[in-house]
Amino acid sequence: MGRIIGGIGSPHAPSIGALIDAGDWDNPDWRPLLRGFAPMQDWLVQQRPDAAILIYNDHVTTFFFETYPIFALSVAENHRIADEGFGPRPLAPIPGDPDFAWHVAHSLVDDEFDITLCHDMPLDHGALTPASALWPDRAAPWPAKLLPIAVNVLQFPVPSPRRLFRLGQALRRAVQSYRDDAYRVVVLGTGGLSHQLHGERFGYQNYDWDMRFLDLLEEDPEQLAALRLQDFIENAGAEGAEMIMWLAMRGALSARVRRLHRNYHAPLHTGFAQALFEDMGD
Amino acid sequence: MRTRQIDEAALPHGTYLNSGAAARAGLKVNRFCYDLRQPENRAAFGADPEAAMARYDLPEEDRALIRAKDWLGLIKRGVNVFVLLRLAQLCGDGLVAVGAQMRGETPEQYLATRNIGKGG
Repeated sequence: MGRIIGGIGSPHAPSIGALIDAGDWDNPDWRPLLRGFAPMQDWLVQQRPDAAILIYNDHVTTFFFETYPIFALSVAENHRIADEGFGPRPLAPIPGDPDFAWHVAHSLVDDEFDITLCHDMPLDHGALTPASALWPDRAAPWPAKLLPIAVNVLQFPVPSPRRLFRLGQALRRAVQSYRDDAYRVVVLGTGGLSHQLHGERFGYQNYDWDMRFLDLLEEDPEQLAALRLQDFIENAGAEGAEMIMWLAMRGALSARVRRLHRNYHAPLHTGFAQALFEDMGD
Repeated sequence: MRTRQIDEAALPHGTYLNSGAAARAGLKVNRFCYDLRQPENRAAFGADPEAAMARYDLPEEDRALIRAKDWLGLIKRGVNVFVLLRLAQLCGDGLVAVGAQMRGETPEQYLATRNIGKGG
């Protein structure tokens, strides 16, 4: 059986990608965020996982509302770098592992997660921010295969917090039933914490909620799974609903986890957080 | 009892969900903005915005909002913020300017409420 070695929570934002591409890791306003990736970068170098399952959302780049999957999984051999409207980032395509991806697809659908399968899934900043921040060495090939799973958090109905937590649990069963015994997987959940990017409520942030979310995510994620999406919208802003993707990451981990890193920085529109949890086994 | 995840009538003030009637009303202009991810469409809009909008058969209401750079009006119309940003950027407004307009503030007023530039 394969094994999940840990989980990482990471923000995503075009601004973060632009700073990384410019090599501007020590920009005074952004340093506390960008250097917050360092402990996770080091851990990944030490651990060298074979694959990363990335639960993220597409920002109406690869998918459009005319046909909009609620859950989509890539079985692609390679992931193109999407042009979101500002030109594509200077990154090499990110390889997938089709054999593993097809196994996960079978396992998820057997588990009643009837997910859309994609042979071609170009990635936007939802996926590229964490990938480029966690594996920053541009001279080396991407060290882990990527299995991106896109979640609709933009067009309502959006799946519930409970559903995302269960998606994570189903991913754990999928990894643990993989035939390659030496296969080691890290699970990434991505999204800003509190933020709202539209309407008169633009710029809404909630530091206390974000801190409580990070506490509960580690110690009692069931409490978060029991909340409604409306609770997230009220307390974290409408775009803060994407925090449910962190819950999928946590659902994929052991009931108890060891926290190795946690960081928070809110310079502008969004509460950005990072977290690294080590899996403690079943 | 099963809990409904969303109560649209009780959303916080200034929050607009992409769903139902708004999702239908905004579909054409969302498609217009979505296609701006392609460089040739960005160039076409830059060269002749009216012709670009005409090609997408946009309702006059949408065209008027785009001409006026009324980002809040477009959000209320059902446009998703992430596709809207492609259009706003082409019109010279980044996220700070878009956000400030939606809040009814100048960019300077909005930035004064943020941690950026204050050692935060």
